[in-house]
Amino acid sequence: MSLTLTAVGYRYVGTSRPALAGIDLTLAPGEVVGVVGANEAGKSTLCLVAAGLAPATIGGRLDGAVTVDGLPTAQAHPYELAQRCGVLFQNPVTQLSGTAPTVWEEVAFGPRNLALPLTEVVGRVDDALAALAIAELAERDPARLSGGQAQLVALASVLALRPAYLILDEPTSQLDPQGTRLVGEALSRLVAGGGTGVLLTEHKTDLLWGLAGRVVVLDGGRAALSGAAHAVLADDRLAAWGVEPPGRVRLARTAEAAGVALPELAA
Amino acid sequence: MTSEAPADDRHGIPAFVVRVPAGPYRSLNPVTKLVIALSEVILAFAIGSWSGPILVLAVVLGCAAIAGILRPLWVIAAVTLPVVVSILLVNTFLYPGAKDPIITVGPFAPTWTGLAFGVQVTIRLLAASLALAVAYLTTRTDDLLTELERRGLGRRSTFLIGAATETVPRTITRAGEIVDSQRARGLDTEGSWWKRARGVLPLAGPVVFGALTEVEERTMALESRAFSAPGRRTMIRHLPDSGVQRWFRRALIAVLGLIVIGRVLGALGWVP
Amino acid sequence: MNGIALATAGLGYVYGDGTRALEAVDLRVAAGEHLAIIGQNGSGKSTLVRHFNGLLRPTEGEVLVDGMPARQHHVAELARLVGLAFQNPDRQIFAGRVRTEVAFGARNVGASSAELEVRVREALTAVGLQGSEDVNPYDLGYSRRKLLSLASILAMRTPAVILDEPTTGQDARGVARVGDLIRALGEAGRTVIAISHDMRFVAETFPRLVVMRAGAVVLDGPPAEVFGEPNWATLASTFLEPPLSARVAARLGLAGVATEADLISAVTRRARESEGALPEGA
Repeated sequence: MSLTLTAVGYRYVGTSRPALAGIDLTLAPGEVVGVVGANEAGKSTLCLVAAGLAPATIGGRLDGAVTVDGLPTAQAHPYELAQRCGVLFQNPVTQLSGTAPTVWEEVAFGPRNLALPLTEVVGRVDDALAALAIAELAERDPARLSGGQAQLVALASVLALRPAYLILDEPTSQLDPQGTRLVGEALSRLVAGGGTGVLLTEHKTDLLWGLAGRVVVLDGGRAALSGAAHAVLADDRLAAWGVEPPGRVRLARTAEAAGVALPELAA
Repeated sequence: MTSEAPADDRHGIPAFVVRVPAGPYRSLNPVTKLVIALSEVILAFAIGSWSGPILVLAVVLGCAAIAGILRPLWVIAAVTLPVVVSILLVNTFLYPGAKDPIITVGPFAPTWTGLAFGVQVTIRLLAASLALAVAYLTTRTDDLLTELERRGLGRRSTFLIGAATETVPRTITRAGEIVDSQRARGLDTEGSWWKRARGVLPLAGPVVFGALTEVEERTMALESRAFSAPGRRTMIRHLPDSGVQRWFRRALIAVLGLIVIGRVLGALGWVP
Repeated sequence: MNGIALATAGLGYVYGDGTRALEAVDLRVAAGEHLAIIGQNGSGKSTLVRHFNGLLRPTEGEVLVDGMPARQHHVAELARLVGLAFQNPDRQIFAGRVRTEVAFGARNVGASSAELEVRVREALTAVGLQGSEDVNPYDLGYSRRKLLSLASILAMRTPAVILDEPTTGQDARGVARVGDLIRALGEAGRTVIAISHDMRFVAETFPRLVVMRAGAVVLDGPPAEVFGEPNWATLASTFLEPPLSARVAARLGLAGVATEADLISAVTRRARESEGALPEGA
């Protein structure tokens, strides 16, 4: 049982240069894998491919194999994939259906699409809102939420499909500090709850430091480094790959270079 | 009968989702209101001479009075004023073949025939547009779509109609921001007409591109929420309907059918 | 080119729907000064800066641009003095080629054709997009489109430059590049205001920070002071957290620290002082 990418390469429609090449990646349930890299290193593409949206929805050419719990994404319907693998993008506005008058109905959109029995729809919506501790938003108009709240509602809408894996593509990049904190706390809660496998791309390596078990560095569409999160995030080559190391790593390094001891960083 | 089941706490659906519309006229089933509005539109044009359009307009205003929306209706009527005035002027002055001038001043010869025709067209148009306005003002889009989907409208059509109504305000906001960003780069929109016309190009690009990128993002977001799954979606809302309303709708459609058939046969010369 | 002073006096702004966005804002920015405005979305940052080029007109109070009341001038005139790069590049980019896009604002503010070539090249070099002159902007990724939108403001060579969230969506290199170009504007003496959510970036790039909350300025001073422990409650009230260096410094009992460099020098200084103090006490 895992989300597995084997020797995956991908080209967008109308391009000859591969956006991804030779990617091998396994995501098990309950595991959090962080993905870092410079812009255009292939992070978003990896998300689309892992979720099966590329090539199923946006076209392009996929090499290698992507399977979700044994089901090859290339042969699955998007609605089948949606129940195994949820995706959250950067912009909360475009992810909401825009047709629901309340948050509760917005979250119900996915389960309704699956034609689940009414009681099941109700149960899933209430569970998804509770998992992110946003039950108090249920009655609100989705168009009148802050960026962070809207992103949480978008996440709840995906969770309501009960996917075993979540793909999160820079979920905090368009949020202010308050929104970033809201989403960060919600993700911590979700991860602590266990069960869901999470693939998370982020420029904010501080967020990954606390959440991810493993981290993959992408460079030019290839995996440049992969391993335990704290080891990868403390790697000297991170800056050369265009990735900002976490604050504590930077500071420890600066202190060491200056010959100053900062034991407080461990706290 | 399930449709008259108590509306609150069905299967644990929160009360704020149930949202049963209340108040005179508003509480009618959205489909009833839609059938009434469409009937009025058709009748305003299908029945000839004066009596038909005036009767329809009276019914429309009656419905509006019951629903208590006469005031917003006047606003909508006022918006149609330029169209009304131009119809009146064009017909009064230019009605082809009319030979009963009200007054002749040089080349201008307004006619009684043209004026009468213009007033008639105006009443028809007013009755039709206000009929739709009454339906719009007394019905939430969401309620109507819920009922139409329950009656068999596909999930894609339902979504497209719902999304389209929401796209308009968003596009206006976006266009405003685009205008601002070009003005910030020295685009003169406060100057002459020529300068303003020249300014259109920088505005069109971002509007179109923004819309296109959004479509792709939205498509992917919909797919990741199982939008393309087969079968009929689960309906969570149930708006009250009644036997009286059902019979009323059937009767209205039947009468309407007879009138339209009569008109068509008349036009074909099969009945005197 | 020298910068110009910008100022607001008792500035208040209420949107058409009755929402109050600004209340009694008195902000004085000296010619050539660099400052960053921080705060949550909806705290009034973008509303405030849109007054400096006349896109918004005050409902109360006054805005001064280079000492002149802004209300006496059209946006097109103020655009010659104050360049404003919007947060979302896709609300701005319209041209089919990068070159045309960058030249647009410069031409509007009166650059000659001969001069345009130079300005476009310089602006693209400043954001690291040199050589992309003939590319279609929409073939660039989001982060590069963002840099392109900054270049098109730089090419206008306005004495004051306002950047709304210039680092959003940038990776480490992009953030460093934006920092460099802001410092270069400083060396040229131009006035710069930036809005940002990146606390470490603002601490390292700007000598002055303004914190906004609910339409009002709640803190205003150098980063070391704004991020100092006495202000933490105020920062927390608007969900801002000081950068790591300031938090570590507070744990060490050191004041006046906002950046890593500050922290290292403060720690070194204390170590030297305690070494120096020991022999005397012995």
